[in-house]
Amino acid sequence: MTEPFLSIRDLRKTFGSFVAVHDVTVDIPKGEFLTFLGPSGSGKSTTLYAIAGFQHPTSGDVLLEGRSLLSVPSHKRNIGMVFQRYTLFQHLTVAENVAFPLRVRRRPDAEVKRKVAEMLSLVRLESFGGRYPGALSGGQQQRVALARALAYDPPILLMDEPLSALDKKLREEIQAEIRRIHRETGVTILYVTHDQDEALHLSDRIALFRDGRIEQIGTGEDLYLRPASEFVASFIGNSNFLPAEHLETVNGSATIRLADGSVVSGVRIDQDFSHGQKTRLMVRPEAFRLRPGPATAGLAVEFIDTAFFGERRRVIARTAAGQEIDVRPTSDMAEAHEGIASSRQQIFFDPAAAFLFPA
Amino acid sequence: MSGNLLHRPPILRRPDGTGGALPALTLITLFFVVPVLALLLRSVTEPVPGLQNYAILFGDGTYARVFFNTFLVATVVTAVTVIVAFPVAWMLAIMPPALGSIVFGIIILSMWTNLLTRTYAWMVLLQRTGVINRMLMDVGLISEPLPLINNLTGVTIGMVYIMLPFMILPLVGTLRAIDPMTLRAAALCGASPFDAFRRILLPLSLPGIAAGGLMVFVMSLGYFVTPTLLGGTSNMMLAGMIAQMIQSLLNWGLGSAAAFILLLVTMALYALQLRLVGAKRMTGGI
Repeated sequence: MTEPFLSIRDLRKTFGSFVAVHDVTVDIPKGEFLTFLGPSGSGKSTTLYAIAGFQHPTSGDVLLEGRSLLSVPSHKRNIGMVFQRYTLFQHLTVAENVAFPLRVRRRPDAEVKRKVAEMLSLVRLESFGGRYPGALSGGQQQRVALARALAYDPPILLMDEPLSALDKKLREEIQAEIRRIHRETGVTILYVTHDQDEALHLSDRIALFRDGRIEQIGTGEDLYLRPASEFVASFIGNSNFLPAEHLETVNGSATIRLADGSVVSGVRIDQDFSHGQKTRLMVRPEAFRLRPGPATAGLAVEFIDTAFFGERRRVIARTAAGQEIDVRPTSDMAEAHEGIASSRQQIFFDPAAAFLFPA
Repeated sequence: MSGNLLHRPPILRRPDGTGGALPALTLITLFFVVPVLALLLRSVTEPVPGLQNYAILFGDGTYARVFFNTFLVATVVTAVTVIVAFPVAWMLAIMPPALGSIVFGIIILSMWTNLLTRTYAWMVLLQRTGVINRMLMDVGLISEPLPLINNLTGVTIGMVYIMLPFMILPLVGTLRAIDPMTLRAAALCGASPFDAFRRILLPLSLPGIAAGGLMVFVMSLGYFVTPTLLGGTSNMMLAGMIAQMIQSLLNWGLGSAAAFILLLVTMALYALQLRLVGAKRMTGGI
């Protein structure tokens, strides 16, 4: 196996008795866009800060092309970073901000000038060079911060929730910019966010953090379609969890009994369950159908409410066991709407696309 | 609709405050403006009408030296105060608030302690047989007592000590407004701690340094007690000279002229400060 570009080995950070990062290990190939996703306090930012050199890990190592970064001070790590808060130098113009990392590296004036122009055009702020940060919008400031972080061609770009201070529309706009810049520059990006949509939209791979550990790492599809735990399933996308009792497993395909007494077989599982064990069956809202298909299981529900979301209609339904579930049938929207008239009916799902987790 | 017009509340008049401010304004007029005008009058009428008092002050080398010395002391004191105050202000700005307010309290407390007491304390500490010299000799760092008093060193030490709070307070305000993340960003950009200080922190804290510096400079120009007690006769300052002219020599005309020059310089510097701070506000605090 080839040497990974950036390697985080058994990284651990404790604050007193609190373990913020719990032996995290990740290898990141060159040019990858990896997102650390997780709720606040899950250790994702602390891990990023250890790479930046703002936090010294309690144990473990961070290796860039095989060399440890830990003994290198922040200003010599040659890493780019965009922060959550606006960190532009308020007393310098946009162009001087972008030039700053080159000036402290004592690069010749001609090169600084050329690079600043190149960076400002990369973030599409060519005409803003002479302005002061105070005269820019939040989105423009973060684009300047991006230009400043990339001006010295760092091998790694760290981004710590850079869009969290912006409104939704602006966020989506800059997400597209970040994707384009990643494509154009090929820089390796480590991105921290608590926003699953942002993570799914931007990343090649996502590392989902929970309580200082990586719960699952993989592509967005991996995490969405093959969640390793109930936490992953509930954090990525929307999910319904139906209480169920495990009856038997044959060749990785389980048979269970739902709370309303109906028996469902053909549920895919990755772990062992004992007979009678209490479990929870995860079904994505969009996995429900209003018409039966081959090998689908039926669920008796009562439609309570329906709301229109543009591309999709959301239906709140109540199971025979009294649990409210979220149903977002993809194709037959109109029928879902009509369905509310005849409120009691069967909906269907493919057991092979559902997941069983221990309760 | 017309009913509404009838019931419209009367237009509220903003209280202009002239009534309440009257006693203070009277006091300032009677005991500041009038005496200053009297001073100006005396400086051009005693002993005979004319500008001869100003001619003497500007023409005589002795007086010129006092002026020079005054500005020298004020400049040195301001510079040293800025250098000493900056780390304290930075520490206060980044300290946890609970601890910060304790340190703040200590600094304020020193301001409330009697000025004369503190200056006498410095005399005890700095004299030839004082605590500092004796300690240094006991440790063996020096064999002869250092001349720490009755010279520029003594005046500088004593005055910096007194001026520190006036520098620290405005500086803390400016430094607190700087996000520490900005310095982390500078570090990742490749700036060494020294580069980050010189290119980022220092320029961003200039408004605070200017405000505190001008305050300290202006206060130092007219300081009397500390330079008189800790300085020697050879480095007399303007305030000391004015006192001597009026108390010992009874030369009211010359003393008034010197006092008036000091007042003019102070006011000019104050105007400069207003302009600088005002200009900062106009450009949005950058």
